[in-house]
Amino acid sequence: MYRFSQIFKRDFLNLIFNPMWVFNGTLFPFLLVLVLGFLSSGSYEISVTAYDYYGVSMMIYVIFNSATISSNSFMEEKIKQGNMRIIYSPVPKSFMYTSKILASFVFSSICHLLVIIVLHLSLNVNFGGTNVLFVILVLLLFEFLASILGVMFCCIFKSENTANQILSIVINISAVLGGLFFQLGGFGKNVENISYISPVKWIVTDIFKVIYDKDFSYYLPTVIIIIVLSIAALFLCGKFYRTEDYI
Amino acid sequence: MEKMISVKNLEKNYKSKKVIKGISFNVQKGEILCFLGPNGAGKSTTINILTGALGYESGEIFYKEIKIEKGDRKFKQQLGIVPQEISLYEDITAEQNLRFFASLYGLKGKELNERTDEALEIAGLTEKAKDRVNTFSGGMKRRLNIACAVAHHPEILIMDEPTVGIDPQSRNYILSSVKKMREKGTTIIYTTHYMEEVEEISTRIIIMDKGEIIASGTKEKLKEEIVNDKRFVIEVDDLDKVNLEEFYNVEGVKNAKIEGGKLNITTLTGVENLDKLIAILVNSSVKINNLNCETASLETVFLNLTGKKLRD
Repeated sequence: MYRFSQIFKRDFLNLIFNPMWVFNGTLFPFLLVLVLGFLSSGSYEISVTAYDYYGVSMMIYVIFNSATISSNSFMEEKIKQGNMRIIYSPVPKSFMYTSKILASFVFSSICHLLVIIVLHLSLNVNFGGTNVLFVILVLLLFEFLASILGVMFCCIFKSENTANQILSIVINISAVLGGLFFQLGGFGKNVENISYISPVKWIVTDIFKVIYDKDFSYYLPTVIIIIVLSIAALFLCGKFYRTEDYI
Repeated sequence: MEKMISVKNLEKNYKSKKVIKGISFNVQKGEILCFLGPNGAGKSTTINILTGALGYESGEIFYKEIKIEKGDRKFKQQLGIVPQEISLYEDITAEQNLRFFASLYGLKGKELNERTDEALEIAGLTEKAKDRVNTFSGGMKRRLNIACAVAHHPEILIMDEPTVGIDPQSRNYILSSVKKMREKGTTIIYTTHYMEEVEEISTRIIIMDKGEIIASGTKEKLKEEIVNDKRFVIEVDDLDKVNLEEFYNVEGVKNAKIEGGKLNITTLTGVENLDKLIAILVNSSVKINNLNCETASLETVFLNLTGKKLRD
């Protein structure tokens, strides 16, 4: 456990001391909500403001994007050189990717929780009131899944660049289908149905139901699906990770 | 002498290409075993298999007569690895790098502090302990790269071309550190394609080419067994008076020619014939200004074995 904690600490510090990732995890989401909320303020009602909508949807978007943070901490060229010594050291092979996943998850979670607090205090974004903990739990689970996906794509494609390019496509298509940038209701029933293939859609629907309808009917299935997907992705990391591809 | 590592019939493929072709060798306690060979010979692949970073198709590896599998953690605990690439976190200090990598071998507390200081001293970086690695010169990074491998006092130190691209002072520092570590009892496996490094530090050499071991032994043994020639380079005042044909009548002479204004005579190593060669020159009324005898170098050993120069 001592050795794992040392690797985790190093991975976490590598992220914290990277100003780009700190910006990406804190200021960027706040600005995204601020700009989109301001530009769309005329299209939303007073009860559910544009800031309320984009506050939640953009948090889901940036959380999904944190997959690129874990892929970076796993295979970014500068960090990879130091990471190579972990392969040579007497620690289990799985420490290599699990510590990156955990460090990225903790780093992103801290950043995004701070953004949620700031969004609530400054723009009065509604994150569920008394049900806020349920909303945060789903977001954290999704954060964990995203962190695993970043590393999993690296393990499969053996390259951070390829992993990030593919992740970017997957994230953005899922985000559009999930209605994170604009709602797809106006595009007809067929488009609405197609949008349900995006897991983002289930998450955003579930969270809005919890916040505005106090409806928890989607909650448990969503949580279970995220957990199952996380376990499957973690299994695939173990299956595809080969030290040969790293050196 | 105690056998630290035994490798038997090791084979490794990359896709359909066989890059290690059934090699076998032993590593004895306390020796500096140098792997010599051109790029692509299979040195680094062999080393990476030993470190557990690469798998292999067939063969066996033993550590102190006990068979080990890929990634054996007890074996890894005894290894110190100096990879060919500089494997450090550049955005943190030398000390932080050392502390982190030493902690992966279970060092903590007072012991970790002492070993970190000791490794910094070995690398000659005590003064630079608190400086970030990205401010270091190439030579300093190379030295720190080595320090990170020795902080946990490994029994076996594996160094994969540790002096690539550095200044002569840093190279000398590294080579003398390697010798000191051997004196303290560390077994060292060292790969390089710099012949002069092998000449300076090796106690035994394995020469590899195209995934095979083509020769092994001490440098003296290799020179004796593989290169049968020595060359006399003689500077004389008047080359026109020299009749090259006369030298071929002397026992052992294989070749006599004039090259770069000097007389070059190649002769078998086992035959003592210098007096006769000098006599021919004296009888021809030629004044000898200088005479050099060039015995076999590892470069000539390599050339004889592979038909190419090491850095080709």
